[in-house]
Amino acid sequence: MAVAVPKKNLSDWHSPSTRPEVIHELIHGVDRYNPTNLPFMEEYLLSQIKEGQYDLFANLAILKLYQFNPQHSNPDIIVHILVKALSATVHGPDFGLSLGLLREPSAILHDIESDDEALTILIPFLTNLHELVRTCQFTKFWKEFNGESEAASILKTRYLPSHASPLDSLRFQFSLSIASCFSTISLTQLSRWLDLPSGQVSQYVEQIGWSVEGEKAVIPKNGDNDVKAGVVRENVQLSQLTKLVAAAAY
Amino acid sequence: MADPTAFYEPTEDELLSSLAVPVQSYNPESDADEYRRLQELEQHAYAQQQLMVAEQEQEQMQALEQVPEDVKRFLVLFHQAILENDLPTITNMYESGWNKLTQAHYSQNEWPEAELISPLVGNDQVFLTLYRELYFRHVYAKLQPTIDDRFQSYENICELFNYLLNSDGPVPLDLPIQWLWDMLDEFVYQFSNFSTWRANPKNKNEEELEALSEAQNIWSSYSVLNVLYSLVQKSQINEQLKAEKQGKSAEEVQELAGEYGSKPLYRNLGYFSLICLLRVHVLLGDPTLALQTMENVDLSGGAFLTRITACHVTTYYHVGCAYMALGRWPDAIKTFISVLIFFIRMKQYHTRSYQYGSITKQCERMYALLAICTTLSPGPSDESIMSIVKEHYADQLAVLQRGGDEALETFKDLFLSASPKYLNVNPPPYEDPSALESYLANPPIDATQRHLELFLSDVVAVKGVSNIRNLLKLYTSIDASKLVTFSEGETGEEEILQQLMVLKAASRTYAKGVNQETLLDGERIVTNNLDFTIDGSMVHVEETTSHRRFAGFFIRNAEHAQRVFNTIKSSPLPIQRKPVPSTASAPQTTDKKAGGAWQPKRARVAAQ
Repeated sequence: MAVAVPKKNLSDWHSPSTRPEVIHELIHGVDRYNPTNLPFMEEYLLSQIKEGQYDLFANLAILKLYQFNPQHSNPDIIVHILVKALSATVHGPDFGLSLGLLREPSAILHDIESDDEALTILIPFLTNLHELVRTCQFTKFWKEFNGESEAASILKTRYLPSHASPLDSLRFQFSLSIASCFSTISLTQLSRWLDLPSGQVSQYVEQIGWSVEGEKAVIPKNGDNDVKAGVVRENVQLSQLTKLVAAAAY
Repeated sequence: MADPTAFYEPTEDELLSSLAVPVQSYNPESDADEYRRLQELEQHAYAQQQLMVAEQEQEQMQALEQVPEDVKRFLVLFHQAILENDLPTITNMYESGWNKLTQAHYSQNEWPEAELISPLVGNDQVFLTLYRELYFRHVYAKLQPTIDDRFQSYENICELFNYLLNSDGPVPLDLPIQWLWDMLDEFVYQFSNFSTWRANPKNKNEEELEALSEAQNIWSSYSVLNVLYSLVQKSQINEQLKAEKQGKSAEEVQELAGEYGSKPLYRNLGYFSLICLLRVHVLLGDPTLALQTMENVDLSGGAFLTRITACHVTTYYHVGCAYMALGRWPDAIKTFISVLIFFIRMKQYHTRSYQYGSITKQCERMYALLAICTTLSPGPSDESIMSIVKEHYADQLAVLQRGGDEALETFKDLFLSASPKYLNVNPPPYEDPSALESYLANPPIDATQRHLELFLSDVVAVKGVSNIRNLLKLYTSIDASKLVTFSEGETGEEEILQQLMVLKAASRTYAKGVNQETLLDGERIVTNNLDFTIDGSMVHVEETTSHRRFAGFFIRNAEHAQRVFNTIKSSPLPIQRKPVPSTASAPQTTDKKAGGAWQPKRARVAAQ
């Protein structure tokens, strides 16, 4: 597993290295409006799920096609896209962007004449989970997630099994948030936030490049958890002075 | 990539032809009979038509007489100028002549119908289409468009684009860029206006309901995108812009552009279509696609889009809104501020333009959005612009900074008044009366409301941030358990630590760096000068301070002094005329304005 450090730039967000050339062409051209490409795009999503990859822009293109062709909407695919967005980032806009392209679940189901209630139950549940994630209420998140509610059990029995290690990617995203704040943190707190039994915490911590000292995990410096007070001084460039220098030359 | 002609589905053609010719089933057995019957019918119809035509002609001649002489003369000359592709004349007539005549004769009513004036312009269909485009724009701007106006305006603009896109080869027409921009701008405006109107099935009369149920394609999102994408593809504008960015020579770009894109008409239409696509995508709630569309367009100070103020302002407004939807507040702030500075400088030259009012309104909205963005991401930004924001939104800013439910309400009001009017992709089911009824009984949340909720959820997520930030400002280090006792309503250390993580995230974001090319790119930056590290449960606070900036002030003033000095040096010496008392001219020589130098010159001329 990779070391938990926040990404320095967004190039992997808008054009992930795992995206095939064909998909790139498709979502950058007018072909993205062609509904006959849907099966192909959906297949790409399923392969992302299986391989544990993530391509937000391709997934948004699917939702866009559903928007223009409501009769082709596939509720299962929609749920998968939302789960992907949820587990891909803590503070990013991904989940909101996906929701922005969706209508109310009942309208979506109405257009495809489906009476499968899963979508109607899951969208509010996932939205709630997302609110908990983005406000860093990780303990509460796991409580809801592991809870006995109908939504939680549908999610876990019907959708999560096809995702490659969904729990790990959630934990990884949470540790990113933790790493940007803490230089050391108690293992008990970690076990609550990452929903790991105390025996497994230290093992997990070492996987993501942190180390254990007694009851604490030590997080290597990453630029966010080792801030120093600084003084911003004025920085005058030579180019700003060209006019003055030129005037002095007379 | 798909074949552009295949993508440009002939929806308009189909629609027009299906209106003109009723569909008839073909029956080979009664072929001859049918043919004879049709012939008879046709003859009959022809005779009647002749009669009607004669009558109509007479009526039209009479109506044409009613048209004021100066309008007639204007139209003839306008037609002439367009035939000759005489850009300066077209520009002049388009920008000033049309508006003057509108004010003189048509401030309360429509311009004459195109059919009426067609004898004046030799029944030139292309000119009449262009004329109708202006005609409907005037209806939308000054009057209340009826459903017929809306439909006909759509059909007319489609006819125009059809002519441009589907003629044999590029058409021999050239129009000023201002007109081309206005045309596409109006196209998107009428689309959004129609969609908003159509989205509400209430208050529609029978006739309107019936028309809407039959015309699914009119002003549909799909057909509008279709036109814009077709213009982009035909002009090869993306390829051209990419090549220019790579520094290819003008000849190479021309070659890439192909027979269409190398013509200014098509190139400009393609370019403006990209900006209209940005706008449509934002309106349809897809900010990532909006920014992606602009990946080849240069947004810097000297870019092509800055040549037209309305286009400049619209582009930046929508780019800023897209950044807001991505939570990239600093980028949104930067975008709004840069165009507002430009607008303040340009204001004096633009008060005459008929779009001045709408441009000002859009700028006004950006000040409101700035109030939102700077509250969510406080930090240093341009003082002159921020002082205007503070002036206009003093009360709101105070409420926003206080936080709480009241602030949420203010965020909501500001967003609703300043955000774009979002649109639904799909209209209500007018074609199915029973579905429409259930739609009316249980209307879905409208698009703007949906985007408002998404925006508010962004706000709610960071609502505790400013309190805890203010608290941290007081300490250099503090234990989390102590923070618990200071904050209201919080129950435990864990919640405080979670809040701190939110604060951390709220002062980090991605922003477009200087050497990043596309709008979607961004680097992780720190947006607030207050920062902290947590060691176990001990919070260490670090604050970055910035020195006052003097150099800029000195440079500006030294340059200014230099300019004043140069002006004085280069002005002619004042030559005093005898009768003028020396006390009167003394203050003039010290006056740093040009006036001091100018007056003696006149005196000198008079003396000679």
